[in-house]
Amino acid sequence: MKKYNYSILLLVIFAFLGSSCVEDLPTKYEFTGYQFSNLDANAGQWKLVLHTSNEQIPISTPAASSSAELLKELADAREMQSKATSAQREAVAYWTNNPLVRWNEIALELATKYNLIPAPNPDGSYPVPDPANPSNYPKFPYSHPPYTSRMLAHLSVAQYDGLIMAWHYKYKFKRQAPYQLDSQIKSAYETNGLFSYPSDGAVIATASRDVLTAMFPLEKEFLAQKAQEHLESLVVAGINVSSDVEAGKLIGASVAKTTLTRASTDGMKNAQTTRVKSDSIKNAAKERFGWVWENQETPQRMIGLVPLFGKVRLWNVPNVEAVRPGPPPAPGSPEFEKSAKELKQYANNLTTNQRRIANFWNDGLSTYTPPGHWNRFAKEEVVAKKLSPVRTARVFAYLNMAIADAGIACWDAKYYYHYPRPIQTIPGFKTILGTPNFPAYTSGHAAFSGAAAEVMAHFFPANASQFRTWAEEAAMSRIYGGIHYQFDADAGLDQGRKSAAYSVTRAKLDGVD
Amino acid sequence: MKNHFRFLGLLCASLGIITIAHAQTPLDGLMMPKGEICIALQYDQVTWDRYWEGSTIRVNQNIGTFTRQMGMPMIVGGITDKVNVILSLPYVKTEASAGQLTGVEGIQDLGISVKALLVEKSIGKGKLTGFSNLSFSTPASNYLSDYMPFSLGFGANELGIRAIGKYELDKGPYIRASYSYLHRGVTEAERDFYYTDQAYYTAKMDVPNAFLGQVTLGSWMFKKKLRVEASLTTIKSTSGDDIRVYSMPQPTNKVDFDRVEGFAQYYFKTNGGFGLIASYQKAISGRNMGQFSGYGLGITYQFKAF
Repeated sequence: MKKYNYSILLLVIFAFLGSSCVEDLPTKYEFTGYQFSNLDANAGQWKLVLHTSNEQIPISTPAASSSAELLKELADAREMQSKATSAQREAVAYWTNNPLVRWNEIALELATKYNLIPAPNPDGSYPVPDPANPSNYPKFPYSHPPYTSRMLAHLSVAQYDGLIMAWHYKYKFKRQAPYQLDSQIKSAYETNGLFSYPSDGAVIATASRDVLTAMFPLEKEFLAQKAQEHLESLVVAGINVSSDVEAGKLIGASVAKTTLTRASTDGMKNAQTTRVKSDSIKNAAKERFGWVWENQETPQRMIGLVPLFGKVRLWNVPNVEAVRPGPPPAPGSPEFEKSAKELKQYANNLTTNQRRIANFWNDGLSTYTPPGHWNRFAKEEVVAKKLSPVRTARVFAYLNMAIADAGIACWDAKYYYHYPRPIQTIPGFKTILGTPNFPAYTSGHAAFSGAAAEVMAHFFPANASQFRTWAEEAAMSRIYGGIHYQFDADAGLDQGRKSAAYSVTRAKLDGVD
Repeated sequence: MKNHFRFLGLLCASLGIITIAHAQTPLDGLMMPKGEICIALQYDQVTWDRYWEGSTIRVNQNIGTFTRQMGMPMIVGGITDKVNVILSLPYVKTEASAGQLTGVEGIQDLGISVKALLVEKSIGKGKLTGFSNLSFSTPASNYLSDYMPFSLGFGANELGIRAIGKYELDKGPYIRASYSYLHRGVTEAERDFYYTDQAYYTAKMDVPNAFLGQVTLGSWMFKKKLRVEASLTTIKSTSGDDIRVYSMPQPTNKVDFDRVEGFAQYYFKTNGGFGLIASYQKAISGRNMGQFSGYGLGITYQFKAF
C-alpha cells in the first residue's frame, strides 16, 4: 500500500515541476503605440543641431490625393495590410508609432553587448580594438561609457534633425495618412491625424540604422534587418504609403551622413593613445601636482581608458576649461584623510541599502553604462508623458549632447589631474565594485548623472527633484562601492550640471519646453 | 533488520560533497531506522586558480587563488524505517588571494530533504535497494547572488527530485547510481538591467535548472567500521549563458562540471556514537566555473532518540 502512496507523491511532484514554468522576464520596455499628447505642429521651426535649414535635404512634392499614383500606393497598402503575416503584425506592435524609443533601446543593447574590456595577452600586454579590423579580438568597439555617450549623442542628434525636417515637410505638404484617405485602411495605432509625408518612422529607421552601423560595424546585417522590418511595418500599420517611406528614407540617410561626417572628425580616433603619449600625460600631472594615478590590475594596464577623450569635440560647452573644477585635495592632506577614513568606514559597515545603491548604479562592464541608464529613464518618461516622435527626439538629443559634453569635460579633468583611486592610496583597501581603468577625479558617474538630471529636469519639471535625487544617489553609489572619494563625486556632479547648462540654454532658444 | 546499525552513520556521510553550487542533499543509498538521529558537522574547502569561461580555461591574476570554505551543521532523522528527513544550514566564506574585490561570508541556504526507501530485495549474494528523495532549499540570509564568483550561493529556491539505486554484496563492496533533477527559481539582483545573450530589463535572474548524475563504487572494510568510496559526478544545466570574455560570472550562467571524488568514513563503534569523515574532490571538466579541488572533513554523532 505504501508504494502507491509514494507513487502518488511522485506524480504530484512531477506535475508541479512541469507546470511551474519560469515567468517571462522582460527583454524590452513594454508599451504600445499611443495618442500623442501634442502633435507639435511648429516643430519644423525648432533649432536644428547640425543642419542650417529645414529644407536642407530636398524632397519632391508628393502626388496629390486624387492622383492615380497615390491611389495605386493606397491599393498596395490595402493589400499589404490585408495580407500581413503574423510576423508583420508583431513587428507593427513592436515598433509602435514612436519607434525612436525602440531604436534607442537597440542602441543600448549594442552598447551593452560591446562593453567588454580587453583581456591580457599571454605576454602581459593588452590588445586594443582596431576599427579597421573590427572582428579581430578585441572586437571593435569597446563600448565603454565615453564611447557609449558619444554614440548616443550622434544617434539622437541625427534623429532629431531628421524629425525637425520631417515635421517641416509634413506641415508644408499636409498629406493625410492612408487611414484617412482610404476607409479600408485601418491604423494599427491610435489615430493622431499626423500628416504622413514624409514618414517620420522612415527617417528614424534609416538614420538610426546608418549611425548605428558606423558605431557598431559588426552589426551591419542585424541593423539592416531591423530597419527593413521597421520600414515594412509602416505601411502594414496603415500610417504610411510607399512614397511617404521613400521620402523619409531620403532624409534619414542624409542626416545620418552629415552626423557621421562630424563623428569622423571629432577627435575620437585619437582618444585611445599610444604608451608614449599616455606617459607624457601622466608625467605632466606628476610635475604639476606631485601625484599620479596608476592602474592596479595584474598585469598592469599601462594605458588608461581613452586618455584624450577630453579633447573630443564638444556639442554645446564652449571648451573643457569652462567647466574644469579646481584641483582635488592632495593625498595625505586633512581633507583627503577625512575622505579616506570615510571610505574605510563604509567598507567595514556597509548597510544593505548602501550595497543596493552601489550595485544599482554600478552600470559597469557588460551593461549600458551610466549614459545608457539615463536614456532608459528618458525612454520611460517620454512614453509616460505620451510625447510625439519629434518631442521625443528633442529630449534624447539634448540629453545625450549634455551627457557627452559632461563625459568629455570629466575625462579632461581625469587626465589633467590624474588622481589616484582609493585602491591605490589606501593600503589593503578592498571594494565590492571593480575599479575602472582611469583616474578618479572627477567621478564619471557623477558627471554623467549630474548632466542628465539637469536636462531631464528641464524637460520634465514636475519630476525635477526625482531626477536630481537620482543623480546624487548615482554619485554616492561610487563612494559606497569604494572606488571614488567624496570630493570626486561632488566635483563630478557640479561639473555635469555646469556642462548641461549649456545644452539647456540652447534648448530654451526654441521657447517650447 | 540486523543490518540497520551498519547503515546508521552512512547517512551522515552523504552531505557536504557538492560544495560548489550549495549544500547538497543525500545521494547515498542508506536509511536510518525510526527514532535514530544523526548530527553532523562538515567542513569543506575548495580552491581554484583557473576557471572555465564558457568552456575555455582562463587564468585571472586579479583573482589569484580563489578559496571557498563551508561549515555545515546537519541533522538526519529516521521518521519511520523507510522515511528519513535531513536538515542542513551551511555557513560559507569566500575570498580571493589577489585583486581588490572583497570576499564575503554568511549563512547560505536552508535545506530540507525527505528520503524514502521504495525497493529493498535480496538478489544473489547481495541486496538491491532503491530510494527516492525530494529536497527543497531556500536562501537563509539576504546574501547577494549577483556577486559571483564570491557570492555565497545562487540565491534561488531549489526543488530537487532524485532516484537512487544501489546493489551491495554481503561481503562489502557496492555500486550506487543516482540521477537528480534540480529545479531552480529566480534570484533577485540589485540592478534591474543585465545581459545574457540579450538585454533583460528586470532584477530577476533565471537560475538554470540542472541534471545531476552520480556513479559510486564503494566498499565496507574492517568489519564495517570503515567505508571507502570513489565517485564520478556530472552536473549539466539545462539552459543558461556563458561568462562573457574576461567578465564576471552571474547566476544566469550555464554551469556544468564533472568531478571525481574520494571519500572515507570511519566509525568508532558499529552501533552509533561518533564517526569521522574525510573526502577529496576535484573537477575534471567544466563550464562557467572554477577548476576546483579541495577536501572535506566531518564529524558525526548518532543516537537513538525515540
